Amino acid sequence: MGSRYLVRKTLGAIFTIFLIVILNFVLFRMMPGSPDRILLRNPNLSAEAMAAVRARWGLDKPLLPDQLVDYLEATAAGDLGFSFKFHGESVTDVLADRIWPTLILFGLGEILAVIFGLALGAYSGWKRGGAVDYIGNGLSLILYSMPYFVIGILLLGIFAVGLHWFPTSGMLTIGGNNDTFASQLLDFASHLFLPLMTVAIGLIGQYSILMRSSVIETLGEDYVTTARGKGLSSGKILRSHALPNALLPAVTLIAINLGYVIGGAITVEVVFNWPGLGTLTVQALEARDYPVLQGIFLLLSVSVVLANFAADLIYGRLDPRVRA
Amino acid sequence: MTSEARPEAAVRNERLRLRLRSIRTFGQRFAARPDGVIGVVVLIFFSILAIAPSFFVGDLQTVTSASGLPLDPPSLGHLLGTDELGRDILNLTVHGTRISMVIGLLATVITIVLGALVGILAGYVGGRTDTLLMRVTDFFLVLPTFVLALILAPIILDLVGSGSEVFGIRVTLIVIVVVIGITSWASTARIIRSQTLSVKERAFVGRARVIGSGGGHIMWRHILPNVMNLIVANTVLVFGGAILTETTLSFIGLGDPFAPSWGEILNAAESAGAMGLGAWWYVVPPSVCIVLVVLAFTLVGSALDDVLNPRLRVRR
Repeated sequence: MGSRYLVRKTLGAIFTIFLIVILNFVLFRMMPGSPDRILLRNPNLSAEAMAAVRARWGLDKPLLPDQLVDYLEATAAGDLGFSFKFHGESVTDVLADRIWPTLILFGLGEILAVIFGLALGAYSGWKRGGAVDYIGNGLSLILYSMPYFVIGILLLGIFAVGLHWFPTSGMLTIGGNNDTFASQLLDFASHLFLPLMTVAIGLIGQYSILMRSSVIETLGEDYVTTARGKGLSSGKILRSHALPNALLPAVTLIAINLGYVIGGAITVEVVFNWPGLGTLTVQALEARDYPVLQGIFLLLSVSVVLANFAADLIYGRLDPRVRA
Repeated sequence: MTSEARPEAAVRNERLRLRLRSIRTFGQRFAARPDGVIGVVVLIFFSILAIAPSFFVGDLQTVTSASGLPLDPPSLGHLLGTDELGRDILNLTVHGTRISMVIGLLATVITIVLGALVGILAGYVGGRTDTLLMRVTDFFLVLPTFVLALILAPIILDLVGSGSEVFGIRVTLIVIVVVIGITSWASTARIIRSQTLSVKERAFVGRARVIGSGGGHIMWRHILPNVMNLIVANTVLVFGGAILTETTLSFIGLGDPFAPSWGEILNAAESAGAMGLGAWWYVVPPSVCIVLVVLAFTLVGSALDDVLNPRLRVRR
């Protein structure tokens, strides 16, 4: 039973990734002018490199099936083309340079938001109508209505420009005192703090609203009434009856939301000039650097699909019913 | 003649009475939700601004008609200060209301029409159509649609040329509307489909089929009115989301500088380095408007959802 669930989810994820790659191919051909002209427009590409790319993508052959097959082969091999903006560097290299800052920022931000958001939501739902619920839910709603970059701009204005507590932009001080590893780490941390808080605060609102309604829903279930009838304490009911079940929908919703989160979070990097994929996206947009944009789209969509796949597996572990 | 007309008139009167009663109970239930009422008030305020911005603050200021000094802090002449070109921020923000709201509205219409169409078709027709449509829907649900919008918008803009106008509306705005529409209908389709599945099993749909009604007629006259509750509540929530998406797209630099929405103003502030120069008056007004409007839509949406779809409350 369990293996059938696993196979179904794996096939689903592979199919979705395949569709994304196809979509990427279609978008690439939809672009103004042929891909040929786009390549010619790149002034930083040598004639030999051009010829090599033409051969690699089979641009002299018919669109279907030859070009599609070539495209799929190149993509599978990690060849995403060459950037216009970054002096003909390969897109894979450009992305690889920028992925770490983004991973650190959003990885840590997600973790903080999941811990605090779920805790706040669970508490507000448990003490429904209490002071924490009232204030927490109100704040969450306001945060939920704020684009991430607005939160970022406000934090930047108050703590970096106004109070000078933190640097305003970048990831490391250029030409700063970076002799020892410790001072380097400290410098990095002070640059990281505000963007990290922005991401975390932006997400906490969503996660807490989600967890709150999930806990309230669960507390209305019959087995909770039974537990109460058995005379269990309210805290015990929450911990061993309500929470485990309330976490289930939260896991799925967090994974589903990831796509939106990534989109909004791109803007946080812009506000703080954080050298990750978000600022890269904006640079590529300004230069209309399509190969890089498509690389970003491919990378982000595949990551979201994989995250959803992971959530499905976790869900399957947590809730034996869906494995059937 | 009168003997035949009377029952018909009576039926009509009865229908009218029932409709009035349901509107009244709806009004009473909605009025019992203070958060929803506050939301409505905020939305009415911004709608008035959006309908007649020039009445309140004069025509939209441009580089040539700018009325003040660059980055002037708030003063009596410029209540909210000026931007780096000397334009009045109050003027820009009020005009931004119209652009943000109109883009949000049009994008919402596309989203809801697409979502309802796909949802009702998939739910009612079922079978292979359902499987296929839901595959596509799930694909769009998983996809980070904002990132898709990010690459779709410039591609379409390059294809059609960003300077031109269609029916007097700038193409950039139309592209943004269409891109938001085609990337955000999936969750609406899912919700409508599940409601359609349950409506489809109700007796009156079976009766309509027995007396020979076609599929199109049943979907239009029987299914649609019965999923309308969900559509209305969903529309309000989608509207708020569409404004958020537009704001973010414009902030990234995909907006139209000649038709500044709130996101576009923030983008200009970001490029001018307003925050670094301490020009908070440039950033705060559009931000506050965005938060107020989106919050109002969320409040109204959830209040409507509670009032119109009372089944959700049963378990609490």
